[in-house]
Amino acid sequence: MQLTNDHIDYIIKDLNYRGIVHDDLQHEFVDHICSAVEEKMQGNVRFLDAYHAVLQQFGHTTGLRQTQLQTISQQNTQIKIMLRSYFTIALRNLRKHSFYSFINVAGLSVGISICLVILLFVLNELRYDRHHERVDRIYRIHAEIDFAGNHYDMTYAPAPMAATLASDYPEVEAAVRFREQGSYLIKREADNIKESKVIWTDKDFFKIFTVPLIAGNPETALAEPKSIAISKEIADKFFPNEEAIGQTLILDNNMTMKVTAVYQDMPATSHFHFNVLIAMAGLDEAKSPVWFSNNFQTYFLLRDGANVKNLEEKFPDLITKHVMPQMKEVLDDFTPEKFAEAGNKLVYTTQALSDIHLYSSLQGEFEPNFDITYIYLFVAIALFILIIASINFMNLSTARSANRAKEVGVRKVMGSLRSHLMRQFLMESLLLSLFSFILAIGLAYLLLPLFNNLAARELSLPLTQPFFYLFILTGAIVVGFLAGVYPSFFLSAFKPVNVLKGNVALGMKSGFIRSSLVVFQFMISIFLVIATAVVYMQLDYIQTKKLGFNKDQVIMVDDIYALGNQRLTYKEEIMRHSFIENASIAGYLPVAGSNRSDTPWWIEGKEANQENMVSLQNWQVDHDYIKTFGMSIKEGRDFSHIFPSDSNAVILNESAAKALSFNESIIGKRVNTFGDDSNGDLNKGNLRVLTVIGVVEDFHFESLKQSVTPLMMFLSKRPSGYLSVRFQSANAEEVISMLEKEWKEMAPGQPFTYQFLDDSFGKMYAAESRLGSIFGIFSSVAIIIACLGLFALTAFTAEQCTKEIGIRKVLGASVSSIVIMLSKDYGKLVLIAFVLATPFAWWGVNEWLQSYEYKVNVAWWVYMLAGVVAFGIAWITMSYQSIRAALSNPVNSLRSE
Amino acid sequence: MHSPELLKGTLQTIVLKVLKDHGRMYGYEITQRVKELSDERILLTEGALYPALHKLEAEGILKTETENIGKRIRKYYTLTPQGKSLVKERVAELTDFIKTMSNVLQVKLA
Repeated sequence: MQLTNDHIDYIIKDLNYRGIVHDDLQHEFVDHICSAVEEKMQGNVRFLDAYHAVLQQFGHTTGLRQTQLQTISQQNTQIKIMLRSYFTIALRNLRKHSFYSFINVAGLSVGISICLVILLFVLNELRYDRHHERVDRIYRIHAEIDFAGNHYDMTYAPAPMAATLASDYPEVEAAVRFREQGSYLIKREADNIKESKVIWTDKDFFKIFTVPLIAGNPETALAEPKSIAISKEIADKFFPNEEAIGQTLILDNNMTMKVTAVYQDMPATSHFHFNVLIAMAGLDEAKSPVWFSNNFQTYFLLRDGANVKNLEEKFPDLITKHVMPQMKEVLDDFTPEKFAEAGNKLVYTTQALSDIHLYSSLQGEFEPNFDITYIYLFVAIALFILIIASINFMNLSTARSANRAKEVGVRKVMGSLRSHLMRQFLMESLLLSLFSFILAIGLAYLLLPLFNNLAARELSLPLTQPFFYLFILTGAIVVGFLAGVYPSFFLSAFKPVNVLKGNVALGMKSGFIRSSLVVFQFMISIFLVIATAVVYMQLDYIQTKKLGFNKDQVIMVDDIYALGNQRLTYKEEIMRHSFIENASIAGYLPVAGSNRSDTPWWIEGKEANQENMVSLQNWQVDHDYIKTFGMSIKEGRDFSHIFPSDSNAVILNESAAKALSFNESIIGKRVNTFGDDSNGDLNKGNLRVLTVIGVVEDFHFESLKQSVTPLMMFLSKRPSGYLSVRFQSANAEEVISMLEKEWKEMAPGQPFTYQFLDDSFGKMYAAESRLGSIFGIFSSVAIIIACLGLFALTAFTAEQCTKEIGIRKVLGASVSSIVIMLSKDYGKLVLIAFVLATPFAWWGVNEWLQSYEYKVNVAWWVYMLAGVVAFGIAWITMSYQSIRAALSNPVNSLRSE
Repeated sequence: MHSPELLKGTLQTIVLKVLKDHGRMYGYEITQRVKELSDERILLTEGALYPALHKLEAEGILKTETENIGKRIRKYYTLTPQGKSLVKERVAELTDFIKTMSNVLQVKLA
């Protein structure tokens, strides 16, 4: 029996009523049920009874729905179809809301590119010195010495240390020393070239460090005196297209050296970059048996399997055996106990080669190292920026939920499961993040040259490595997932009934999490603003602090020794020019990195023991030194040609005066130290005596991270080093060309190089000024991204409130009251962020300033200012949107057609 | 009547084999055919059949065509070439399984 159309309509309606909405399935069910009912009715059963019997087979409403659910979910397990559909919808959604997509992509890609750059930088820093094959067995000696009131933390060890370690200690396989003697003038025949990366070293250098040779034998290269090994760079410079081995080079016009090896240039990620290695065998100082003079950076190779801690435990014995007996000879009534009692200390420890670049900043580093704290700081900043950008994404997605709530409702009614919706939303965020990552690679590519310039590195994107792309992909997925998971939970949880009726708790009301996220964003931004401000303030403080000398208008001509005996003539020639105020020849300058030398002295008449001795910087200067550098005499007088006895006179700085004599005046007193014998060794019998004629005001001669230590100046018999010139002329070019002209006349063939005192001074703070600029850039980026988010959020609020604004305006609200209404919510959040950020910033700033002996006082208004700046920027961002909304004509928003 | 538990793993194979032997079929027809072949001992429930059919369709093993019969729309299923090769595999697999089971249970099949 055929069912009538009425019956079929009844069945279709009934199925609809029972919630079967899947078109395809509904047709099948209807057909199936009809067929079954028809069969049953053949046995004379009434339609309704037959229908209910068939429904029972299906399991009534529950069974029907279950089947529908299963069918839908089975269909969607097809990954290809699923992805394609999600992908299309995601693309359409992103295009439809292009303003918000743009904000998201812009924020994320800028954030990611910064992260990429920082990551590259950090990886580069961690790679230092790893190219040495035996990196985990190479160590450096670290000496910690307290003597005569001075503290030394240095890389220098005594000359006999290396040989003793290698011969007496089975743990040590080989040891090598380095001795720096400044830069050298190098020539093949005629013209000298100045090379600064020159070092004296022992023959085991190539055995310990992995520095591949291009030519020469690593075993014998540095064994003989007068032999040097040179880098490829130097070989190409002096012997282009020639075999360098066996050739000779002349150093400083008087040392003839034979090239015995050419090695590959040392990689950028090495803590030293020597271009010329001179065989230590030719250096007399290296043969010295003296244990209490530390001048040699000493590295050693630990034997395979040996423990460095065991070796370190033997160092106190080494000191007792070698150092103490020599001290006893020199000092009156010396015992190790008295030595310790007077607050003195001598400790040797070791540093692993791989730790040097990140953990070591001792006296006598070959090059300035990096600091692990900054690595942590950078990583933290990178993470913060990424988080701020991700928060924008979360906030915008959830805030706009109102617009998408209907979509969710309809989808759910059409049979979407929550998991489908979550996947859909996650897909959107993944797409967005992938897109941002791709953009970020481009941005990072553009940013890297700037960053390299700033950080003094040579980083590049590893575009050829598949690993890099894998990393980018993983990064995109992780970021997309983290940023998308909260919105997808939030959006997919809507109940279709509520949403479609229109009474869902929309956008703005679900704002607690969003508000906290905005607060967090601005907390980070304000923190970074304060940090930047303080770094700049400290830098400024250093640059303008009263240093005790005048660093402006001074030019220093390098390597004055190249003039030989004409040094004084040169100086006199120079002084003749009217725009030259003063000139002085000395190697000891009030900037870090110039000559230093230090010996213990005591007031004549007191006993030469640990209590009375004061370790003083011994600076050899000339008559015009104090005038040239603009130091001021506090007591007594300057050196003068009128007094021939000034060759035995000395001028102290205030610290030295205080350390030597406490309160009594020191002018006219005499000070003693042990003199040298003819071999340059200390000779106790030969006392040196100098008379104090003046006291100069304390001046800073090291970085402001250190305090001013006691210092004395006396006249040098043969002044050398730099010619420092104080000039009046505003035109520095003129001064330089004059200096160069005179130089060329007196020293043809010798390179003329010079530096400005304020530049050299600035170099001491290069790390800080880099840190300042990098911080500045990062914090601006953080603020910009946070403001982008705020911008979009206010845009959204304004959009939500168009009707409200219209009504308010019609009822007489002013523009300003509407602007305030729109921005006060987020304004409040920025205020809260400020209150929360200040304590963290205060703590962080104090921690950083700890490392400075002289630090700027960070007043409360700095914090206030940072808060006001952040608030101001946020306010400006918001006001654009809110003023636009407030100015709009109410007619437009209230008219409904 | 056999328990649905026992049928669970064989449902797809049964559907595929029936479709292979009869060509084009619609849902109700499949249940009736199976009922007939099994002397009413295997009753495919709709709740299991339709999800399975849709899954096989989505996987490209079955293709469908619809036909209007008055007000009703009837959906016919046929095997795709891919499906045809799968049937042989599945049937062989199942016979093999039955043999194994008879050995395991130590019973002789009539």
